[in-house]
Amino acid sequence: MRLSDKIMILSLIFIFTASVSLAADIKIGVAEALTGPIAKYGVPIKNGFTLAVEEINAAGGINGNKIKLIIEDEQGKKEEAINVFKKFIFRDKVLAIFGPTLSNSAFAADPVANAGRTVVFGTSNTAEGITAIGPYVFRNSVAEADILPRVVSIAKKKLGIKKVAIMYGNDDSFTKSGYDVFKKAVEAENLQVVATETFSKGDIDFSAQITKIKGLNPDAIICSALVEEAANIILQARKLGIPASIHFIGGNGFNSSKLSEIAGKAAEGAISGSPWFLDDTNKKNQSFVKAYRKKFSSDPDQFAAQAYDALYIMAEAIKKVKFTGDLEKDRTSLRDELAKVKNFSGVGGKFSFNENRDAEQKGRVLIVKDKKFTIFSE
Amino acid sequence: MEKFQRGKGNGLTDLITSFWQTYNTLIYTIFVHGMLALSIYITLACGQLSLGNAAFMGIGAYTSALLTMKMNAPFGLSLIAGGMMPAAVALIIGIPTLRLSGVYLAMATLGFGEVVRVAFLNMSITGGSLGLNGVPLKTELWHLVLVIGIFIYFFIRLRDSRFGRILEAINEDEVVASVMGIKTTYFKVWAFTIGAFIAGVAGGLNAHFTFFISPREYGFEPAVDILTFAILGGTRTLWGPLAGSTVLTTLPELFRFLGPYRLAVNGLILLLVVLYLPNGIVSKETFKNIKKIFNGSGCLN
Repeated sequence: MRLSDKIMILSLIFIFTASVSLAADIKIGVAEALTGPIAKYGVPIKNGFTLAVEEINAAGGINGNKIKLIIEDEQGKKEEAINVFKKFIFRDKVLAIFGPTLSNSAFAADPVANAGRTVVFGTSNTAEGITAIGPYVFRNSVAEADILPRVVSIAKKKLGIKKVAIMYGNDDSFTKSGYDVFKKAVEAENLQVVATETFSKGDIDFSAQITKIKGLNPDAIICSALVEEAANIILQARKLGIPASIHFIGGNGFNSSKLSEIAGKAAEGAISGSPWFLDDTNKKNQSFVKAYRKKFSSDPDQFAAQAYDALYIMAEAIKKVKFTGDLEKDRTSLRDELAKVKNFSGVGGKFSFNENRDAEQKGRVLIVKDKKFTIFSE
Repeated sequence: MEKFQRGKGNGLTDLITSFWQTYNTLIYTIFVHGMLALSIYITLACGQLSLGNAAFMGIGAYTSALLTMKMNAPFGLSLIAGGMMPAAVALIIGIPTLRLSGVYLAMATLGFGEVVRVAFLNMSITGGSLGLNGVPLKTELWHLVLVIGIFIYFFIRLRDSRFGRILEAINEDEVVASVMGIKTTYFKVWAFTIGAFIAGVAGGLNAHFTFFISPREYGFEPAVDILTFAILGGTRTLWGPLAGSTVLTTLPELFRFLGPYRLAVNGLILLLVVLYLPNGIVSKETFKNIKKIFNGSGCLN
């Protein structure tokens, strides 16, 4: 045999093994913001996915098939998100897509996936109307509209609140939609709103708003803010003499270990609602937090936890798909199986999709005690 | 509506179909960025540094998107309105601000951009920070080709027209131009308004293929991006801004395989261009260097 023949045969074998091993891979696209200002949300999400995939693959994959994540950066920009989605659907031929990080990008990119009949699974999109885009759009991020009303009603019952002041960031879709939900909840509970104050992302001085609120003597302060602003607001409120008996009530933005890190003792008694919290003692969560800390040497946040759960939910559905080799059919049968997921138990507790492919998950009301979130009410 | 079915032709048409399906948004974006680069080129052509073009784009995007969504206006009409609205705004703010020059004009337009962004955030018709969701898909490739074609034709005709010469005179030396009897502010306001019109149309076209618009797309960062298109490409001819925007839009996608390093490589290329081609990609030095290489008379510079 001549050398050239050998090379030919060897390369054929190589291509053959490569294609065989490729065929056994289930490709899933992950489009998250990994650079830029949104990366602080996107990176933990990516970490959650990679951790779950490593565990699944180490345990032998799904029915023997390994999961392969194709991770792309969408920078938190809508055009980038559309480009990445199209690359996933038409070039990489993925089975399904996770992402994008922001609701804004999801409004732009999810219609592409829906038209391409490919499942898109959001783990951090909380805005209203995301899943209304189409039947291929799913999410396991609990919309604030589902959790915050419970937070308000339980706080009212337990603390005897009659009048509240509201503060919110009006230049961010996340905090603005949180405010909208709070406003409705407060109306539904017949609470009197003594003041509504706004601020912007990146503000560091809130004394004007707080001084005004202090003069009006509310029983509690509702605060729809991202964690940096929330912590600063609480800190400054306590410094300006608002007593600890006046609780702060917040949304998802409160739900980070940074709140106590920045605000320290001032954060004690802050109330929020979330399906997941770091110190939850359920077994799955304990092992998730341990593995995450070991691999990334930092604490997971809610976004990482939701991503981790999402991948296991997807794996549940993939397990039931009968692969035909026709990508379009497989994508559709994955959609059908995903819609049937019920009573999945993950790090955030029991989870089901409702008929709108939104998360049906009981949020828990939490309170900061000794610098940690504990359950205020189940 | 684009078609998502797989092409049924031979291998080549399959390849083209899959390429088009994957990259059509990118190609659309190249056209829109080209228009934005032209919109700042006309103010730069008369020596004015305006950073308000992202805001004009935003006004155009919101105007045309609202018209198609709420009033069911035909696409052409809403596009023209999307251009006229920012042009009207530019006319109003241009008359006082264009008496300023240099860095003061840049600051004033920057401030104007912030005002517009905050206005979008606080108006209820624009959806506030939640943005406008569900903008119908109307933009097609031929719209973009036609519109940019019209703009390019306009700029080619402008070059040797009286108006074009006046802009050039103002650019070379504003004092001399005014001494020669040119009403400089009048013509600067015209250039500014035309720029706003072009940016507005670009915004309208962009809104109708990305399904969604929100205030954060029209803030400070895109304003700087638009300026970078023109500076990188070169501002002496109209082809410079077009080349700059095309390169800057394509590079990040070309370097996608580099993963997290792609933005670093992108930045490195910008740095090299600024260092070695200080007048932009399309400039006299570039042509000289190309000629030199072809004449075999040695290396770069």
